[in-house]
Amino acid sequence: MKQPSTENRSHCTGFDNTLAVSRREALSRFGHGLGAMALATLLNPKEVCGADLAAAVSHLPAKAKRIIFLFQSGAPSQIESFDYKPVLNERHGEQLPASVRMGQRLTGMSGNQSSLPLVGSPFGFAQYGQCGAWISEQMPHTAKIVDELCFIKSVYTEAINHGPGVTFMQTGSQFPGRPSMGAWLSYGLGSHNKDLPTFVVMETHGQGGQPLASRMWGSGFLPSKHDGVRLRSDANVVLYLKNPEGIDPASRRKALNRIQELHRLRLEETSDPALETRIAQYEMAYRMQSSIPEVTDFGEESESTLKLYGDDVKTPGTFAANCLLARRLAERGVRFVQLYHAGWDHHENLPGGFKEKCKQTDQPTAALIQDLKQRGMLEDTLVIWGGEFGRTNYCQGKMTEGNFGRDHHPRCFTMWMAGGGVKPGFTYGRTDDFSYNIVEDGVHIHDLHATILHLLGIDHERLTFKYQGRHFRLTDVHGHIVEDILA
Amino acid sequence: MSVVTGYKLSATLTLFLITLSNTVCSSEGEKSSFNRDVLPILSDKCFHCHGRDATNQDSEFRLHSQENALADLGGYFGIKPGDLEASELHLRIRSNDYDQMPPEEAVRQLTDEEKDVLDAWILEGAEYEAHWSYTSLPERVDVPDEGIQWAKNAIDRFVFARQQFAGMSPNREMGKEAWLRRVTFDLTGLPPSITEIEDFLRDDSTNAYENRVVELLAKKACAERLTTEWLDVARYSDSYGYQRDERRFVWPWRDWVIEAFHQNIPYDQFMTWQLAGDLLPDATREQKLATTFNRLHSHKKEGGVAIEEFRVEYVADRTHTVGTAFMGLTFECSRCHDHKYDPITMKDYYGLSSFFANIDERGLISHFTDAVPTPSMPLPNQGQEQALKEAELAVATAEAEYARVQEEARDDFQEWLSHRKPSPLLQGIVAHLTFDSFETPQPRNDDDNVDKTQTSDLSNLYGLSNVVTPGNLALTSKANSLVPGRRGQAIQLTGDDAVTIPNTGQYARDQPFSIVCSVKTPETKQRAVIYRHSRGWDDAGSLGYELIKLGGRLNAKLCHFWPGNAICVETEDILNPGQWMHVAITYDGSSKARGLRIYLNGIQASTTIVKDNLTRQITKWRDGEDYLAIGSRYRDRGFKEGLVDDFYVFDRSLSALEVLQLSDGESLEQVLAKPTDALSATELNELFQYYLLVWDQPARQARADLRKARRKWNAAMDATPAITVMRELDQPRPAYLLKRGQYDRRGERITADTPEFLPDFPADQPRNRLGLSQWLTSPNHPLTARVTVNRYWQLMFGKGLVRTPEDFGAQGERPTHPALLDWLARDFVDHGWNVRRLLRMIALSATYRQSAVVPGEVREQDPENRLLARGFDKRLSAEMIRDNVLAVSGLLSNKVGGPPARPYDISLSYKPSEADQGLGLYCRSLYTFWQRTAPAPVMTAFNASNREVCRLRREVAPSPLQALVMLNGTQFVEASRVYAANLLARHDENSSAIISEAFLSLTSQNPKPKQLEILSQLYREQLQIFEEHPDRAEKLLAVGNAINETTASPARHAAVTVLVNSIMNLDECVRLP
Repeated sequence: MKQPSTENRSHCTGFDNTLAVSRREALSRFGHGLGAMALATLLNPKEVCGADLAAAVSHLPAKAKRIIFLFQSGAPSQIESFDYKPVLNERHGEQLPASVRMGQRLTGMSGNQSSLPLVGSPFGFAQYGQCGAWISEQMPHTAKIVDELCFIKSVYTEAINHGPGVTFMQTGSQFPGRPSMGAWLSYGLGSHNKDLPTFVVMETHGQGGQPLASRMWGSGFLPSKHDGVRLRSDANVVLYLKNPEGIDPASRRKALNRIQELHRLRLEETSDPALETRIAQYEMAYRMQSSIPEVTDFGEESESTLKLYGDDVKTPGTFAANCLLARRLAERGVRFVQLYHAGWDHHENLPGGFKEKCKQTDQPTAALIQDLKQRGMLEDTLVIWGGEFGRTNYCQGKMTEGNFGRDHHPRCFTMWMAGGGVKPGFTYGRTDDFSYNIVEDGVHIHDLHATILHLLGIDHERLTFKYQGRHFRLTDVHGHIVEDILA
Repeated sequence: MSVVTGYKLSATLTLFLITLSNTVCSSEGEKSSFNRDVLPILSDKCFHCHGRDATNQDSEFRLHSQENALADLGGYFGIKPGDLEASELHLRIRSNDYDQMPPEEAVRQLTDEEKDVLDAWILEGAEYEAHWSYTSLPERVDVPDEGIQWAKNAIDRFVFARQQFAGMSPNREMGKEAWLRRVTFDLTGLPPSITEIEDFLRDDSTNAYENRVVELLAKKACAERLTTEWLDVARYSDSYGYQRDERRFVWPWRDWVIEAFHQNIPYDQFMTWQLAGDLLPDATREQKLATTFNRLHSHKKEGGVAIEEFRVEYVADRTHTVGTAFMGLTFECSRCHDHKYDPITMKDYYGLSSFFANIDERGLISHFTDAVPTPSMPLPNQGQEQALKEAELAVATAEAEYARVQEEARDDFQEWLSHRKPSPLLQGIVAHLTFDSFETPQPRNDDDNVDKTQTSDLSNLYGLSNVVTPGNLALTSKANSLVPGRRGQAIQLTGDDAVTIPNTGQYARDQPFSIVCSVKTPETKQRAVIYRHSRGWDDAGSLGYELIKLGGRLNAKLCHFWPGNAICVETEDILNPGQWMHVAITYDGSSKARGLRIYLNGIQASTTIVKDNLTRQITKWRDGEDYLAIGSRYRDRGFKEGLVDDFYVFDRSLSALEVLQLSDGESLEQVLAKPTDALSATELNELFQYYLLVWDQPARQARADLRKARRKWNAAMDATPAITVMRELDQPRPAYLLKRGQYDRRGERITADTPEFLPDFPADQPRNRLGLSQWLTSPNHPLTARVTVNRYWQLMFGKGLVRTPEDFGAQGERPTHPALLDWLARDFVDHGWNVRRLLRMIALSATYRQSAVVPGEVREQDPENRLLARGFDKRLSAEMIRDNVLAVSGLLSNKVGGPPARPYDISLSYKPSEADQGLGLYCRSLYTFWQRTAPAPVMTAFNASNREVCRLRREVAPSPLQALVMLNGTQFVEASRVYAANLLARHDENSSAIISEAFLSLTSQNPKPKQLEILSQLYREQLQIFEEHPDRAEKLLAVGNAINETTASPARHAAVTVLVNSIMNLDECVRLP
């Protein structure tokens, strides 16, 4: 089993180490690779480890060391997946009762329909595991791992459309401009790994659906080094990672040695600390040229592991391949792996569309949990599954035999978490019989963020960054930790 | 007593510490300064609960003003000046008990040093001061006497005085070539050429430096450099942003900025045009174009959103941008509550924001059409301009001709009267549905005419006979039903299911038409679509024409993009629910609201004109023509439970008599049957109108000619691109305070005003954006000039005198040199807001000439260089890094302006598009196509701002990705290869000459022997590799599109390519000396 070997430094103290070594010592280390010193701490230690920050991250014991967020973009229907509502089947075709809707506004897409007929899920549901969670027949693999999962059936948001919804889930604000969750963690926790980025983003190839934007993994007003690094599924996994044609690694190394020699010469002349950073920057770039191909090469994975994730795993850019890659990155100490799987926006043709999405994601999702568990990594890896909001219990557009659609529904939806510090085989929160309103234990996006940060040992009120005179937080001025789901 | 002295001492010590770490000591020395020492502490640690925002804090005790802080709180005092033990503030901050302040759980605690500062301040009398940046710009600022020998101009004397007070002295002057490199990049964003370096080194005249600066400032490249900086401030992007983020046409604004900087127009004008160019008297096209500045925010294109929410967001973005860019204030906070740190109230916020709300815009842009969001203006090129002029003239001529013909028709009318026939045959009917029975629809092969949002499955549809063209059945979903109607049966609509009439009513805006029907509405509260030739509502900009019911009123419109480009009239009287009503609309093809009429029960209804500005086409959806439909529309509310009967479409404008005939079945017949001498004057007039529209041949011909002229004018306009601008509404939009900042929670009415703590709005100025810009550019405005000179100081030095250029408020940093900032600002205003003059002064200062290199100990003394006792470390910006290698390699295009360019990396962006071939690969980086949600990856890698919102500085940080881009990026490898070929052509086999030149042009300095030695070794090593592997050389030399022009061997060419690329990657190449 591979475990990151560089986790020996406590949070945000790397800067002491860095300053403690003499320049000569540091230089000699550079010559042999940078060792345990993360690039980030070489920059401006004050910026990396602000006073607020040190307090924030050393404040709590961390239950999780890293996150894998399986974001299902477009908003999967809670009614077809986890929030089993037989009442909707019983009252299929009846109008959404006013007593349920309570005058709440609807989106501009179905809000003007003259009729809002309830739709029962066409999929069978059964209870699984010791916890007895209800799972849709479309998710047979997830059904096998329910005892690892902590369901939150009462997540809610304010956004009613994808742009604001995804932006809210990823940055804590509906409007662009704020840092993403991964950027906050990169800023708050720093790097675990000398050869790989702290925050990695992957998207399932070719899913269409609602467009995403690079700000979803952007650093907002945080220093831009906290941007998520997107791994692409084509030859250039990272932008210009590959040497140009005609340059092989040995000749690159040779040229790089001379470049570094010139940089050291200049460092001796000027004693300018920026040169130290520059030397490290080029060494890390060089290492990434081998570490990233290494992590994306599944050659060393056993047949049984590959089988666990399903046939798709062999095709780069599939959700299955990205899930396995997420595990490999997590193993190597990447803090935050963000997966996007788009196409869950089922305004019409929901039954067919939902089946297709499950087929692409169900097995790899379950495989990831099992794989992490087998390797002893699930206990300190937090896996999160969910979309940006839920879907309506009534039909959008025309309801016909066997076909219907559901509109956006911000008032309730289901997410689950697993591993690092959450209760396994547990369900939190409850919606009404119509999966329309929350009747128990609502969890706002800010609460979710507060809880996630808490699991990583961060006090969400203390992880702040001063910008334009204000101390900004991921949770703005809100957020309560959902204590009941903590293991 | 001894205690007191202790506090005093430690406070002084603290001041010293603060000096080095954060703020600046002035020459006053010991006594603490409220603004410098105390306010930052109170603001950051106390105001959150004891500040200005009284409604959102638990405590009644407020510290933001002396009046509040010293108030008698019932026998005890928050602060008792000079008396610590009687001051609750002192007791609480020193307490370890339950009453300690800040409370134990507070995130931000006071340090011991900060407590000492507060105590010292109380002892000294707890004086408050107005915040430095809110006080008027002084009329004059004295220049210190110090540093005369060192100083080259006034700037240096301020700088020297500060250094001297802190016991520091200026660093040595940098070498001439270093200065030249720095100033050339700072002013033009490009490197000095070798010739320029040599010329400058040779020039030992006294004004060598000055001449160089003057030359640089006059270059177009300088205007491009200043524009590049402004694009971040203006959040410029070539796409709309948010989610869909499609391309938009705004680059002419960018070219206007370049030209404005090149002309060096006074900065107050530069501001005024951008804020209010449209409001200037006889505004020119350029002045209007400048206002695109305020429309560069993101625009929403996502169906189903709350549209008002995004309109409010656009207004907010403008407010924040103007607040940040011109005032250096963080207005965002006060959008939801009174600012906690600065005296900006919510009322101030909404007073300011209402200046930016008065345009005819919508919070959603069209998803289904290519309409440019309104307000917009046509931006014709020369040919288009000519075509428009000619077409406009032709329309005027044709209109005059039609007027003339109508007058002449009076004689013929008399003639016709005497021969008229009684038959009231109505001409021009193209469809007539009676809704009397359902029929079986036949398969069609033009399924464009079926409502795709419903179903195209014929088994779910009924046919409806069309009296005029029996073969062309109308179609309806089976959900609609036939019920007893006004005559025979009528159709009753579900509201979700349309009746569509194929191949009917596809009218451009030059086409006169009329639509007549009977309707019965069940209610008069809701909005309902009665009929429309339009695929969608808000997310289609309502493009097309439509009759809708808004509560009890009927509303007819023709739209290109609602609301800014449309004509719309609305009836004044309220409909009667449950009663049949005969409704006709007639349109004359004029694109004017007065040409659009509504008739109720045969009588022209009195209507109000809601919109009268239709200038573009109403028929083109992105996926083709649309169909005429009754009773519903995609995502709109349909005519639920409404009844429609006898639906007619005419391809001409009906006269009033004809409409009346259709309504009562007799009027026209009766009038036609009346003997001429029995006709009343009214009847005669109505008959004349009828005659003109139906019988008079010359009038018919004149109408046809007019229509042709209009069609030509319309086509010329549709061919002309439109650009979003600001155009003030006639009446200001009512403005409200929005509770908690929520778009739908209106509070009190607000009038446009500037913040109360800033100078009054000038009484003689209009309360619009023009008045606002007059206010902003008034000569003593506390913020505008300070913020501006600070930005340009930052442009030259990398850091502003105020290190937080975007925040001049209480939470921002104080200026390192307050007097210098004021002097510069005053000088700037007094010399006509002359940016070029300001830059010249900075570039020629001794301060700017200081070397950045100092011994480590000196650096330690002032790590952040607050005393300006050395030059700043500065990495080149993203744009400069790329432009530098293009310039040195000779690939850089010198084309100024034009459509966005697509260099290689655009094909690797998150939303990739094809890279250009040729010129677009080699344009300066400010022209690179900027897609907001997926910016050019090379620019992003080097910390370019993403242009989502206004940003006044970039956070520059190194990352390994930058090394990858410069070592492997196509642009960089290609530039290396092309430059290598040039070097080989000039120096043949002389490798040390090659190295020297490459080093000099990429770093503006000659290599030292040791550097030469290492680079020679690098070259030899690479040459050996490529000689052993000629295939690799060939591959490397194939990177990029440029053609190899060299006779050198591939191995040699490749080795020089690696050599050049390696020098490009040196610190000396990407950082300024």
